Amino acid sequence: MIKLTIDGKNIEVQEGTTVLKAAEATGIYIPTLCSHPQLTPYGGCRLCMVEVEGAPTLQPSCTLPAVNGMVVKTNTEKVMKARKFVLTLIFSERNHFCMYCPVSDGDCELQNRAYDEDMTHWDLQPNWQPFNVDASHPYIILDNNRCILCRRCVRACDELVGNYTLGFEERGADSLLVADYNVPLGESSCISCGTCVQICPTGALIDRQSAYQGKETEVEHHIGVCVECPVGCQRDVLTRDNRLVRIEGDWDAPLNHGLLCEKGRFLPLEDDRDRILTPLIRKDGSLKATTWEEALKVAAESFNNEKGLAAITSTRLPAEDMALFKSIFGDNLKADLVTTLEEGKPTSSLAKMAEKLGKSFETSLESLKDTDAVLSLELDLVDDYQVAGFFIKRQLMNGTKLIVADSKDNKLAEATTMRFPLTSGEEADFLTQLLDAFENSSENPALIEIVNVLKESEKACIVYGEAFAANADETAITLLLNLAEKINARLIGVKGNANSMTAAQLELEAPINVEECQAAFILLGDEDPSQKLVKTLEEVPFVVAQTTYRSQLTGKADVVLPVAMWAEQSGTYLSLDGKMQKAIKSLDAPEGVLTSREVLQKIAKSLSIEPNMDWKASLMKRMPTVQIQEA
Amino acid sequence: MPIKLKQEQDINHYIRALADEKGHEKAELIPILHEINAELGYISDDAIKALSEQMKIPTSQIYSVVTFYRMLSNEPRGRHVIQFCESAPCHVAGGRKVLLKLQEELGLTQGETSQDDKWTLITTSCLGICGVGPVMIIDHDIYGNVTPDQVPEILSHYD
Amino acid sequence: MKSTRSMVLVSADPESMDRGALDVFTELQKQIIEFGLEEEIALSMVNDISKPGFVPLVLVYPDAVIYGPIKPGDVHQIVEEHLYKGRVVEEKQISPYNLSGRIAWLSARKGTLPAENRIVLKNVGVIDPEDISDYIIHDGYQALGTVLNDLTPEETIALIKKSGLRGRGGAGFPTGLKWQFVNTAKGEKKYVICNADESEPGTFKDRLVLEGDPHAIIEAMLISAYAVGADEGIVYIRGEYGLAISRIKIAIEQARNFGLLGKNIFDTAFNFDLHIHAGAGAYICGEETALIESIEGNRGEPRSRPPYPTTAGLWQKPTLVNNVETLANIPAIIRNGAEWFQSIGTDSSPGTKVFTILGNVNVTGLIEVPMGITLREVISIYAKGMKNGANFKLAQTGGSSGSIIPSSLQDIPMDFDSYKKAGVSLGSGALLIANDEVCVVDLVKVLLNFFRNESCGKCYPCRIATPRAYEILTNISEGIGTMHDLDILLTMSKHLVELSLCGLGQTAGSPLKDFLTHFRAEVEAHIKLKVCPAGVCPMSGRRTY
Repeated sequence: MIKLTIDGKNIEVQEGTTVLKAAEATGIYIPTLCSHPQLTPYGGCRLCMVEVEGAPTLQPSCTLPAVNGMVVKTNTEKVMKARKFVLTLIFSERNHFCMYCPVSDGDCELQNRAYDEDMTHWDLQPNWQPFNVDASHPYIILDNNRCILCRRCVRACDELVGNYTLGFEERGADSLLVADYNVPLGESSCISCGTCVQICPTGALIDRQSAYQGKETEVEHHIGVCVECPVGCQRDVLTRDNRLVRIEGDWDAPLNHGLLCEKGRFLPLEDDRDRILTPLIRKDGSLKATTWEEALKVAAESFNNEKGLAAITSTRLPAEDMALFKSIFGDNLKADLVTTLEEGKPTSSLAKMAEKLGKSFETSLESLKDTDAVLSLELDLVDDYQVAGFFIKRQLMNGTKLIVADSKDNKLAEATTMRFPLTSGEEADFLTQLLDAFENSSENPALIEIVNVLKESEKACIVYGEAFAANADETAITLLLNLAEKINARLIGVKGNANSMTAAQLELEAPINVEECQAAFILLGDEDPSQKLVKTLEEVPFVVAQTTYRSQLTGKADVVLPVAMWAEQSGTYLSLDGKMQKAIKSLDAPEGVLTSREVLQKIAKSLSIEPNMDWKASLMKRMPTVQIQEA
Repeated sequence: MPIKLKQEQDINHYIRALADEKGHEKAELIPILHEINAELGYISDDAIKALSEQMKIPTSQIYSVVTFYRMLSNEPRGRHVIQFCESAPCHVAGGRKVLLKLQEELGLTQGETSQDDKWTLITTSCLGICGVGPVMIIDHDIYGNVTPDQVPEILSHYD
Repeated sequence: MKSTRSMVLVSADPESMDRGALDVFTELQKQIIEFGLEEEIALSMVNDISKPGFVPLVLVYPDAVIYGPIKPGDVHQIVEEHLYKGRVVEEKQISPYNLSGRIAWLSARKGTLPAENRIVLKNVGVIDPEDISDYIIHDGYQALGTVLNDLTPEETIALIKKSGLRGRGGAGFPTGLKWQFVNTAKGEKKYVICNADESEPGTFKDRLVLEGDPHAIIEAMLISAYAVGADEGIVYIRGEYGLAISRIKIAIEQARNFGLLGKNIFDTAFNFDLHIHAGAGAYICGEETALIESIEGNRGEPRSRPPYPTTAGLWQKPTLVNNVETLANIPAIIRNGAEWFQSIGTDSSPGTKVFTILGNVNVTGLIEVPMGITLREVISIYAKGMKNGANFKLAQTGGSSGSIIPSSLQDIPMDFDSYKKAGVSLGSGALLIANDEVCVVDLVKVLLNFFRNESCGKCYPCRIATPRAYEILTNISEGIGTMHDLDILLTMSKHLVELSLCGLGQTAGSPLKDFLTHFRAEVEAHIKLKVCPAGVCPMSGRRTY
């Protein structure tokens, strides 16, 4: 432990702690700009300078390691003057005329720091040189005029995301933030994760969706789990007057530490699908508005009277809803088919193996953060589960090896150490060959190389995708487990949708077969129906669709029950690595629209069913592939 | 005289060979960029892309490095590059008048390339030949103790 | 340059000029030539020495004899008796008492003519730099043999520490201590780097060493590597130094062929190899952490310290970075011993210093003299006086990162500590000497232009203050500056030192302070009178940047 004194307070910190962190830990505030808790200290802005006894000049607290006996002062006149000088310089560098800036008045760290120092003006003529504004990106506007060159965005793009899109052109005062080799951001390698926008302290990187839509002082925050995929990122949904303003990653989230992907951050605000605002019933071939009573009555009748009932749910819904769905349609109505839209494909073979072994064999996503070799099987972490991909990508420059074995084109392969083409369905063969190469060598140099990499690694991870799980039989999974044991690798299965793991725990994994069914209940929620589903349902005479948006499915449905979208409901989600997390209601549903859970409860009531409400117990019945942890 | 590799595949081929020769370690980046700059006259976007692929270094980082260093250029330069020292020793020795004369003769200001791609005029920091300032370097030829009157004659040696 | 035996100074203050100092000077010139002494006697006019009623004065140095008042008619006798025959003309002498304080230095330096003393440049121009045998004949690699066979690394470090050698890159850090830091740093792999990214304007001493005596650097790096426990070295040479690069390349190749690089050098367990990294045009890469970043293939941006390169340098391994001139001293120190080295120069700054002499003087070039020489001596003896007999107005020492020194400070001994005490910087050893035709505003503008172009941009004070200061200076030079601007420049100067991440930013402020300390009246003339006294600034009344 290190003992030091800051502003007269005696402090003890771990060795290697910076003076800034030590100060923060004791509640002493030191202003910063280029520093960010998620980034490596940089020491550029010189706002966090402090006086250290014995040092001839002021010292940057963000990079200065605390040393035994150090005496630090953070608020001397010398420090204050220096602070003001630095701020004066920054304001004089480019266009920092706050009144025109979308982040002015609360959202701009530069402006806030200046207000903290009671600055009302600055005493230095700027150069007035204008820079171009890059508005080529669908979500992001890059305005170098407002850039303070702190490089938080560049460092985030490198250190956190591993995408390396942003960089700096030129040097000194001519430095400009650019993408790739100075291409417009919209044509660059940017994957629109938006981390740069979120981390920008000023208005240099703003997102089009939320610019001028609401300032920090005007918005409400709702922190909960993202429901776009099962990685389980925590995000902050900002709303104003029951309207989505922006979605940000939660910096304090233990897994994603502020990161999100395009799907979690930007796409939800692009949603322009046609909302259904009232229950509908098909009359004379067309859907007509009706009351909830009428709609529920007709729906319930179809569930009760018809022979052959299929009930299919989305895996994007909260665990509470899915358990309720199962209780009503499976346990009580005993429908002929009770399953999910995914039919258990991403999960069932693995879940069965866990059951058979009587133990969980998959591990937490955290293990990707310090892995030294990753074998990725049938999985593109660039397109899907992006944030998990970031954990891998950002380590590749530090020597982490990545082996991609995939039957399809794989965007992750660009950054890959090795690429091994698979034939879909023959994953077991690949694993057999690989195991064989481990024991007896191989004639295939690619296999030998893979073996070498895996043998050398100490913290290997094997990540596999839906396609692997869907194709894998018991043999293939046994091979996978053998391989993992051999190299002491940790296994991570990505599981499809935000709540696919819940579906697996509820054993909702039957294949969709509606041949004999006279009626179908589709709990679609805010998902889009697949072409295949719509086609399958053509055979079913009576379809009840519980959905948020108009779609091809509603075109076919006989009863449509309008429900809330993701932001309008709370509920529990099981991430792909078994973390039980809450999604938080951020918006009120439009009048007349109910949450899926409310509708299910109404259905139960109209069918006089007393459903099992202990969803958690239902979830825990089955041996999970990865341990379930309640947050 | 820089050789122009026009075709993209030529550049790819050239850069692959270069990276194989020098090695793919990041420490070789600047030496390789030196070579490319000498060979192509500048480091084109295509060259950056090809090099990124070969060395597994993101284009953003290569571009950041290229534009940081004054001996490397991302822009095509003229057939002849004039570097004129604007540091204090040459300045005190009368450099400004020579620079003005150069600018007048060439019709260029610093950083510009002439329309016929003949000249590029760059002002640089000290070139380390201060004993004979004002100093300028045209391609690899060093001229010291330059006076404004000598400028037209010096320029006439280049075609 | 032939060695100069005596220096003769003629006072040139207004009173002396009124009383015919110019004629005395001309006559001295004539007589010195007549006696064939022009190669041995340095003659200059000095405007800061006077004794009312006794001018013009003629000072003969190093004898510290002052004659006055002197008429052209007295000159023949002084040249013949004193300079030719070595006999003081007592009847023309005046007592040095009551002379103005400016020449108090004179008696203090009586009898110490600082002759050139070549250690660093010993072989330059003497040996064939492309032939290792020539170097070996001139005692080359002898020191390496001594170290490898007779000394432990610790003894080697102790020897260097005892010699008192201080880094010649500018900061003057004790070299032996730096070696010791790397020697004791934890780590299997260590590096030694020769910093040959000489970019300080007006400095080209390292280039001459690299071009003229490349093996000395290789030998010194071998010795330092042995001392600190490194097996790999890199010579980081400025990319613009084509000839130096090719000479070092040849030398490395030859050394390798001679078994002086590689495995089991001198049949010992010591292994070492060396390669070259050519810079790509960035002054900042002379800063050691920026240099390391550059070798790693990055933008040359300095790192925050701590950790220092001695513990976490290249690829985060302990790394020794030494300047070319520092290294060039090493073999000689090993060969001749620490006491020998200490006997040269001053107590706190032993050894020699290579200076580059530039500007409005008669002879520009390179000299290697013992530490502690004064600027006046350099100008008078080695530069053979100001060009056209003009007044010495100021010197800019140490390249851009040095100081602006007015003529009043020209008698301070040039060593690390005396300069530090006087608040000026010795820097890299560049001496840019300027006459009255140089405008201080214009000069500082050029310096700030340099800094704003070379600032890497990482740390804000340097990146933003240098262009703002340049713009303010441009305004002053156009006659639209304000007195408030001067306050801003001083504030900037103070904060640049206090806040900057590396030496570039820290020194960028010194010309701003220096020119207001020493030449405030001249600067204020630009603002208050809208006049550039030197007639250099455009004074257009318009904003031009």
